[in-house]
Amino acid sequence: MSHHTCPVHHAVIALDEMIHAGQLKNPRNRWTAEAILTLMRDIAWGNAGPRHLPAVDDKVAQLKTECTDEACRAVADFIESTVCENREIFDSHIETNNCATGDCLKLAPAPCQMTCPAGLDIPTYVTLIGLGRDAEAIDVIRNDCPFPWVCGLVCTRPCEFMCVRGRIDTPISIKFLKGFAAERAMSEGSYRNPQKEPAKGKSVCVIGAGPAGLSAAYYLALRGYGVRVVEQHSVAGGMLLLGIPRYRLPREVIDREVEMLRQLGVEFSFDTRFGKDVTMGQLKSNGFQAFFFAIGAHLSFRLNIPGENDFPQVLDAIGFLRQVALGQRQAPGKRAVVIGGGNVAIDAARTCLRLGCESVVLAYRRTRSEMPADREEIEQAEEEGVRFEFLVIPEEIVGSGGRLEAMKCLRAKLVTLKGQDRKFPKPIRGSEFLMKADVIIPAIGQQVDTGCMKSLTGLDWTRRKTIQVNMATMSASLEGMFAAGDAVTGPATVIEAIGGGKRAAESIHRYLSGMPQPKMPAVPTRRGRIEWLEVPAGTKMTLKRPEMPLLNIDRRRTTFQQVELGYTENMVREEARRCLRCDICLRCGKCVEICRDKMGVDALQMGYFDFDHPVKTDYRMTEERCILCGACATNCPTGAMQIEDRGGERVLSLCGTILNRQKLLVCENCGAVLGPARYLDFVQKRAHAVAKIDAQRLMCDTCARKLSAKFSVDDSPVRK
Amino acid sequence: MYMVFRQGQKVEIYKKSDDESWESYMDSYVGLHGIITDPDSTINDPDALVEVSLEGKGTHRFPQDCLRQIGG
Repeated sequence: MSHHTCPVHHAVIALDEMIHAGQLKNPRNRWTAEAILTLMRDIAWGNAGPRHLPAVDDKVAQLKTECTDEACRAVADFIESTVCENREIFDSHIETNNCATGDCLKLAPAPCQMTCPAGLDIPTYVTLIGLGRDAEAIDVIRNDCPFPWVCGLVCTRPCEFMCVRGRIDTPISIKFLKGFAAERAMSEGSYRNPQKEPAKGKSVCVIGAGPAGLSAAYYLALRGYGVRVVEQHSVAGGMLLLGIPRYRLPREVIDREVEMLRQLGVEFSFDTRFGKDVTMGQLKSNGFQAFFFAIGAHLSFRLNIPGENDFPQVLDAIGFLRQVALGQRQAPGKRAVVIGGGNVAIDAARTCLRLGCESVVLAYRRTRSEMPADREEIEQAEEEGVRFEFLVIPEEIVGSGGRLEAMKCLRAKLVTLKGQDRKFPKPIRGSEFLMKADVIIPAIGQQVDTGCMKSLTGLDWTRRKTIQVNMATMSASLEGMFAAGDAVTGPATVIEAIGGGKRAAESIHRYLSGMPQPKMPAVPTRRGRIEWLEVPAGTKMTLKRPEMPLLNIDRRRTTFQQVELGYTENMVREEARRCLRCDICLRCGKCVEICRDKMGVDALQMGYFDFDHPVKTDYRMTEERCILCGACATNCPTGAMQIEDRGGERVLSLCGTILNRQKLLVCENCGAVLGPARYLDFVQKRAHAVAKIDAQRLMCDTCARKLSAKFSVDDSPVRK
Repeated sequence: MYMVFRQGQKVEIYKKSDDESWESYMDSYVGLHGIITDPDSTINDPDALVEVSLEGKGTHRFPQDCLRQIGG
């Protein structure tokens, strides 16, 4: 069995073959094996509960006791070893209702959900939002992410990159839908915490109140653990609050979502630096039995050029953003130069503008196309007036009398080194020039500040100076110690930190409960099986992803008001209708093959099914060609394609998208449904060579036979 | 050979990596395709880990030497 095959699926198929091959001669053995097969099918089809796997164990033990021959023992051994070796995967199928390989068809997860580092059940909550059930959508999200509002504003949305709708036109605007639902639920007072488990009488200390730390604190509190968060700053949020400017993420949003943690009983110790104000020994003596480190990556890389340490007007970007976040509102200078091409550089530049700097230049060593910052952030910065200087290499910071005056730079050109595809900036000799500046803000990356961790002897670090952990469990090399977030990944994304915190909370729970740890990262959990939204094919194809309304440019240059104003309710409900519901349709292509190759109709143009080579998709084409024979629906393994007669019509739909609907014709004699005209034409054309059909009459087979039969049992004379 | 990866690019995990960040469960990902969702976001460092969403296998950070661009 390959790594890509699901052992549950494999076990079901193999056991089924063994039974049907007659391997079990004794009827009693066969009945027991069939009972095991039924239980396994329940697991593979998402119908299993916590009692299923113990029941399989019991039945296997029973089979072994009953076995009367070697063939039966082989079957019992096969089931026993398969379940034993893959128990984690069997458990995962039952607990998450997802099959990571997609082999168990009804449990195949949607690409967006699999992509999300925190495993949010996106199809379910997007559909709920489409139905106007925002609070329920937030409940679904908070099973996997305690901060839907924050993520609705600043998530890097990997889900949208994998969104299948993007292969047709543009991905679903998942992030903004989430932001809308969270804001609406909070505004209506329906944003609520789930029920906590009873107190377990054990405590966990979380070091760092950033997204990873808060996420772990939330899930541990829900599990019934006492949680205290130790934070070196005076506020909770970490990089969310201190690194992301308010015009992207208002502080109130963070405060409101953090408040939900307080309501769960999470305690905070602010202005407390681990390793300085409090030690591991003190925390242990306070009764904490497990420790979660989410200390982030707050230490800025240095330029390492002359003059960098000589002027107080050289500010590291993270420190600068932190000061502004904590209330500093003075312009750092008239002419600001920010060095770097990432999101932090963009944030620092846009913040300088808002503080009143007359000119803000962003100097980057490469070109626009190499900038790692989000494209939208780059565009918004340019709109606001940030000027970009590309192919610039800082050489020296110069000034006089302790006052910074300029940055001496070299022009660069991009060169490709032999055997490498990456372009490197190469200084152009003699191209020195001065870039005048009152303040220089290097933003060339961050690393973990390891200073506070020095007392933890025995803690393993990676060569990238991040905490070494097992990524499946987030456990570090010291007993009872776990870590996640930027301290583990290096500077990464909010949603990765949240996912890491959630994963760590689960592992801490297992650690404190004496349960075995998982070998692989958990498969995301399907949180519901909600009905799809019904949308006509024309609407599905023509609905466009809405543009985000933005604050006017004058306010963006002068205030810290939120730039993205949010979708309107109508935009949100309509956008949710574009979702393809990939949690139900697996894009296996059986419908397309049957229609094209078996029926010869070729009415399904689903170019998005292929991940690597998507071609044109047009749902509207189905209505032009489809004969509503139902072959596609009959062969659909998941029930995504459906055909039904309703309201005098036959309707074909794919996950709620109405592909075709035609009026049903009925027998003129008895009123029985015959099918749509196009279907009858198709049958007539195929059958006319073998049977003559009166095309002028609409009649069911029974009535047609009655009419054409020379003798009828009803009126023929009885012969004795 | 080092390559520079950008957000939205399609890539293939074409071999195992010797980097310390490569974990044994990642062996089963060799040959799979995915999309770069978070490239080296700050310093354009060939040694940095990049975030890749693999089709059907979730999102992970990989060393760049095991990735290659596909589909132009």
